[in-house]
Amino acid sequence: MRKRNSSSQRFCGNCTSHNAYNYPCEVFCTRRFLQGKDPIVETLWHCEEWNANAQECNCIEDAREKQK
Amino acid sequence: MRREEILSEQVDHVRINGKLTVDQLIRQFSNSGSFGAGRISTACDIYERMVRDEECTVFLALAGAMVPAGMRTLVADMIRKHLVDVVVTTGANMVHDAIEAVGGHHYKGHWLADDRILYKNHAYRIYDIFVPEEDFVRLDLKLADMYDDMAADNEGKSLSSREFAWELGKRLNDHDSVLRAAYETQTPVFMPALRDSEFGYIYHLHASRNGFKHLLSVDAFKEVPEIINICRNSPRNGMFVIGGGVPRNTVQSAALATKSGLDYAVIVTMDRQETGGLSGSTLEETVSWGKLKGEADRVMVVADATIAFPLIVASVVERLGEGFVRRTRVAAEVLEGLERQQ
Repeated sequence: MRKRNSSSQRFCGNCTSHNAYNYPCEVFCTRRFLQGKDPIVETLWHCEEWNANAQECNCIEDAREKQK
Repeated sequence: MRREEILSEQVDHVRINGKLTVDQLIRQFSNSGSFGAGRISTACDIYERMVRDEECTVFLALAGAMVPAGMRTLVADMIRKHLVDVVVTTGANMVHDAIEAVGGHHYKGHWLADDRILYKNHAYRIYDIFVPEEDFVRLDLKLADMYDDMAADNEGKSLSSREFAWELGKRLNDHDSVLRAAYETQTPVFMPALRDSEFGYIYHLHASRNGFKHLLSVDAFKEVPEIINICRNSPRNGMFVIGGGVPRNTVQSAALATKSGLDYAVIVTMDRQETGGLSGSTLEETVSWGKLKGEADRVMVVADATIAFPLIVASVVERLGEGFVRRTRVAAEVLEGLERQQ
């Protein structure tokens, strides 16, 4: 079975609302900021409002690498 | 004109030795008097006359990515030494100043970098400089809080971009910051295209987070009488332009509004006049609008500002010497007067 591409897995690090914050472990979530919640979340976390990022970045791979 | 007059001044050739100071080299450029070197030496002479003229208000118009390119402390030092009286700048240059003031950095990169790889690594490119996305994000977070604070302090009063700049400078604890230097010396910094920068996006964050209530308010027109009155009350006015664009036009328009025209002008640009755009327009074209006096002391240096700008300032600072003190009060008096009328 083919390994799933990280872009299709649900992580904050490949959601449309993320920007780099403490690369690669933490990202800034614009949606949470506007909702008055703590906007700094872990790259490998996700919430129910996750939306796939159209243009992939290296956050997931680098966060996993860092986690090892 | 007679032939002897046409051929009266010979080109002296540049002689280099290991002890040349910046100003000594610039004076050799003056003796050779040719091409870009000749124009840079003329620019030094004009800027020196501007600064030595205590009845002249010196406007620094700053466009292009000068702060990312390492000119930040140079501008802050010019402000602290009163070598400029008024700064007119893009919002972006002050955004990058604030990025460094809150702990961010600009990095040396390469113009041939693969931009798709940079995108994947959340790194932005400004020609051969890289800026990490997280430095913008940290700025957004800190300034969104500052906007809240500024809104509370000013209780619905609208600020001019100059007041906004000082409010920011007051909150930035960094001696090398342009905004901090301007606040400490009460040097006006106008940002006529303020919202066309990260400052505009930060406003969106500030406003959205607060449900569009208790907002910071900046009035784009409030600075117009401020800059025009500075120009009108100053016996003479000079501009030192880096790049051009909105900052250059803002200074020139203030001079036009006063019907007096600028007395001195130094422009460093690489833009061309043929497009009809302001940044490349010649100073002769500026004379046609009445923004610059026909007899004004002027030169346009066609050069990379990251080379020419520090050379010109270093040469003039060397000429002025350590003990030089410049006192001009026009901008401060005008702003105090407007404050009393409000």
